[in-house]
Amino acid sequence: MHAIATRGLTKVYKNLTKGNKRSLDELSIHIREGEVFGFLGHNGAGKTTTIKILCGLVRQSAGEASLFGIDVRDPASRAKLGYLPEQPYFYEYLTPRETIEFYGRLRGRTPQQRAEDWERLSLLLDLRDIAEQRIKGFSKGMRQRIGFAVALVGDPPLLILDEPMSGLDPVGRRSIRQLILRCRDEGKTLFFSSHVLGDVEQICDRVSILSRGKLVREGRIGQLLGEEPHGVEVVATGLNEVSRAPIAAAAREHRTHEGQDVFVFDEAAAAQEAARAILDSGAALESVTPLKQSLEEFFMKEHGATAAGAGA
Amino acid sequence: MRIWIVALNTFRESVRDKVLYVLLLFALTAVLGSKAIGWISIGQDIKIVKDFTLASMSVFGALIAIFVGTSLLYKEIDKRTLYTILSQPMRRWEFVLGKYLGLGLLLGLVVLVMALVSGLYLLVLGGKPDAAYFLAALLIYWKLLLVTSFAVLLSSMASPILGAIVVFALYVFGHATGVFLDLPAQFDGTFSKTLLEGLYYAFPNLGNFDIRAEAANGVPINPSYVLFALAYGTLYSAAVLIAAVWAFENKDV
Repeated sequence: MHAIATRGLTKVYKNLTKGNKRSLDELSIHIREGEVFGFLGHNGAGKTTTIKILCGLVRQSAGEASLFGIDVRDPASRAKLGYLPEQPYFYEYLTPRETIEFYGRLRGRTPQQRAEDWERLSLLLDLRDIAEQRIKGFSKGMRQRIGFAVALVGDPPLLILDEPMSGLDPVGRRSIRQLILRCRDEGKTLFFSSHVLGDVEQICDRVSILSRGKLVREGRIGQLLGEEPHGVEVVATGLNEVSRAPIAAAAREHRTHEGQDVFVFDEAAAAQEAARAILDSGAALESVTPLKQSLEEFFMKEHGATAAGAGA
Repeated sequence: MRIWIVALNTFRESVRDKVLYVLLLFALTAVLGSKAIGWISIGQDIKIVKDFTLASMSVFGALIAIFVGTSLLYKEIDKRTLYTILSQPMRRWEFVLGKYLGLGLLLGLVVLVMALVSGLYLLVLGGKPDAAYFLAALLIYWKLLLVTSFAVLLSSMASPILGAIVVFALYVFGHATGVFLDLPAQFDGTFSKTLLEGLYYAFPNLGNFDIRAEAANGVPINPSYVLFALAYGTLYSAAVLIAAVWAFENKDV
């Protein structure tokens, strides 16, 4: 069974003065249980709308969406769901302990289970020192920790996280990333949107890219970026003019950086030949590195192609 | 069960809100200040105090119902606290009813405190807070519950300011619906008369909850009238709450 499934999911926001806006256009995705799925797209691509439909906050205009086989319009579909909004807001007059207690009650947890939830989550999210302080006045990072704790109340097998690292400092980002990895290791299904592509690349099994409400690419990260390296970088120091010229002529790209010559070759064989020539000339061969496309490069390329397609 | 959790949380929010205490302080000041008006009317001070304290309950209760009620759902949407609540396995109507009941609990507490303080004050002044006085307070509370249901309906559709204006207008008109029926003879058979009669039945008749004069003057109150007013308020509130749930059910937040 799929943890998340959508078919032809469409959302049109109706506005009498500004006209209708199609925010999501026939989105079909399937996320298997235990999978870590990254949801990418520029601002306004439809990521948050999709997440809001899945979490029961927005009603779709057409199409279907389900969590563990239960239609998202049925509240029972959210029994196995933990949700962290992009900017989590909680009742400011409550303390973190009262907040966890409140959500535990809403999820129908028994007093014993609620006490266990607090023990587990306060330790995991480091909430004990602020347990009795009111949330009013808490920093973004502290609120994000509480948001994560709320999402984990009842230990749900599916987590939907909307931009979980947005607006956090490096320490906060690192701690959220570790939490996500921990949930992944526990076998939870994770579906999250993020602008921090480096994190997505490190954490996710599969990603999909959304542009203007449409799904433009979907697949395993390795597949999308290409399993094969898209070039080989050769770095040398101490090359003289005579030796440098033929190597640079054979390379796809040549630049000098802090006294080093950096050559990029399309083929591994050409790189090997260049390395041999460098050694024969008496210069030092610093490194030979296969180059892989980053998710960021891939994303920018896809985004550029879609924007150009839409503009044509 | 979830309705109760939301209701208790709404009640807790109001209790932790300092504005409530300011309003309650004003209300109690008005109750205790009623003696000053009693002095003006020689020999009528107990009657005036009863009348004035009941009027204070009605006005200050309505202010709380209108100003807290019209921001009840709107604030949750605006501050996005709703995101993590509606993503729980709960139904939207449970949330709307929970918010309504939370404010209902608060108003119950406010009316109870004011009725008890007023009752004690009447005893101190040598008067007797009889059953009629407390029945009048009960009907005021029922009226406030009806006003709250309108406030909740508006809070799912409009900003608190607009909502407060509309509910306040309803509150004022609701006390004067009699004028729609009390028309001169030249209106007989006209469209205007039909329209105004229609408005009379459509608008909540808040005058049905007003037995202040009887309570102040010691006139016996017919229990069946009280039951009628309670039933009228319950049915009207239920109808308005159904509309509020319907408006909120498919709202994108």
